[in-house]
Amino acid sequence: MEKNSKLQARDLINVGIFTAIYFVLFFASMMLGYIPIFIPLLGLVCPIVCGIPFMLFLTKVKKFGMVTITGILLGLLNMVIGSGILVLITGVVFGLLGDLIMKSGNYAKWKSLLLGNGVFSLWIMGYYARMYVTRTAFFASMVDGYGQAYVDTLMGYTPGWTFPVLIVLNFAGGILGALLGRAVLKKHFERAGIA
Amino acid sequence: MTAATADVPFERKSIIPIDPRTKIFLTVTVSTIMCTGGTSGVMVLIRPVLMAVPMVFLLLQKKWKNVIRFSCTYAVLFAAELFLMPMLFGAWSFILGAAIGIYTHMLPGFIMGYYLIESTTVSEFVAAMERMHISQKIVIPMSVVFRLFPTIGEEYAAIRDAMRLRGITDFREPVKMIEYRVVPLMMSIANIGEELSAAALTKGLGGPEKRTNICSIGFGSLDALMFLAALGCWVGYAV
Repeated sequence: MEKNSKLQARDLINVGIFTAIYFVLFFASMMLGYIPIFIPLLGLVCPIVCGIPFMLFLTKVKKFGMVTITGILLGLLNMVIGSGILVLITGVVFGLLGDLIMKSGNYAKWKSLLLGNGVFSLWIMGYYARMYVTRTAFFASMVDGYGQAYVDTLMGYTPGWTFPVLIVLNFAGGILGALLGRAVLKKHFERAGIA
Repeated sequence: MTAATADVPFERKSIIPIDPRTKIFLTVTVSTIMCTGGTSGVMVLIRPVLMAVPMVFLLLQKKWKNVIRFSCTYAVLFAAELFLMPMLFGAWSFILGAAIGIYTHMLPGFIMGYYLIESTTVSEFVAAMERMHISQKIVIPMSVVFRLFPTIGEEYAAIRDAMRLRGITDFREPVKMIEYRVVPLMMSIANIGEELSAAALTKGLGGPEKRTNICSIGFGSLDALMFLAALGCWVGYAV
């Protein structure tokens, strides 16, 4: 790849491709949320699954801005499917932070990638933030559609102190996702010659 | 290209002439209000309308098969809520209630998103985003995402069939289940991506010159009407 540090059209297309896969896998993992007990766990599960495309993505582009754009796109997509504006904000913020961390290792140092994916995964907190920041409004709007029992259970599982716990879980998910992604990369993609 | 889209002008798939930007706004409106809106007051009126709107659009787009499929889903959901729910109690009613709730909340936005992708060509989408003066850095990846969703669906269906032949179908082995689906999917999408970049670069994407576009997009009276209606819903949502 040429020594140009700016994002070229080819890189932008790659960003689009991996954002699409990331989003589809994320959405598929979200389906676990049908069972309320899993909702707090989604922050852990989603980044683990999404680590696979993300680690492959990181071998393809390696330029500053890639993770930020992914974050912005994921935020926009989630906003379009009705998750509120908070996801866009966290998408931009944690996309940029993750990007900066990975940039510090030139997108090659494993430690910076590991940490970067952990931080980037925190964009998912935009989903949970609704449950805490606008707590009463959020749960009130759910009562009719989902039933009082569902809301009570969900509220029972998520008292205020669980917010930091979720952030930690989310971060751990990002770290595990990076590890899984690297394992899959070694096992499959490098052998097939596409990484 | 199917017969349903043959009678519309080149580079346009939408049968009724509404702007892609209007479609995006309507999708955000339907999904956000349906997912997070309340269910009392004016919302009693707004909700059924927003449920009906995506179906009407699909009908206008002549997607008969999908109209029938989504109608059946709705029918099953409502039947379950009316007849099955009173018979259940405890954990079961709670799980079923939640599932029905999630479905009826998400489905309208999902159908609207499906209509958006189904009725808009990538060129139109790019033209619309350029009109909004969005940076190329967002427009290019976004149009790729837009273009790839249907492809990912097709590829996944093919992989699922292949795995069914090999008998990898249940969640008794969750790791295998995920690995044997996600890995081939990513392999094929990565290859498709390579081809897509080559094709796009050939068409002058990323060149120094500003690209031209033959899509005639723009707001008409129909768009104004849609915007007004959607704004009405937002007002109802806010109060």
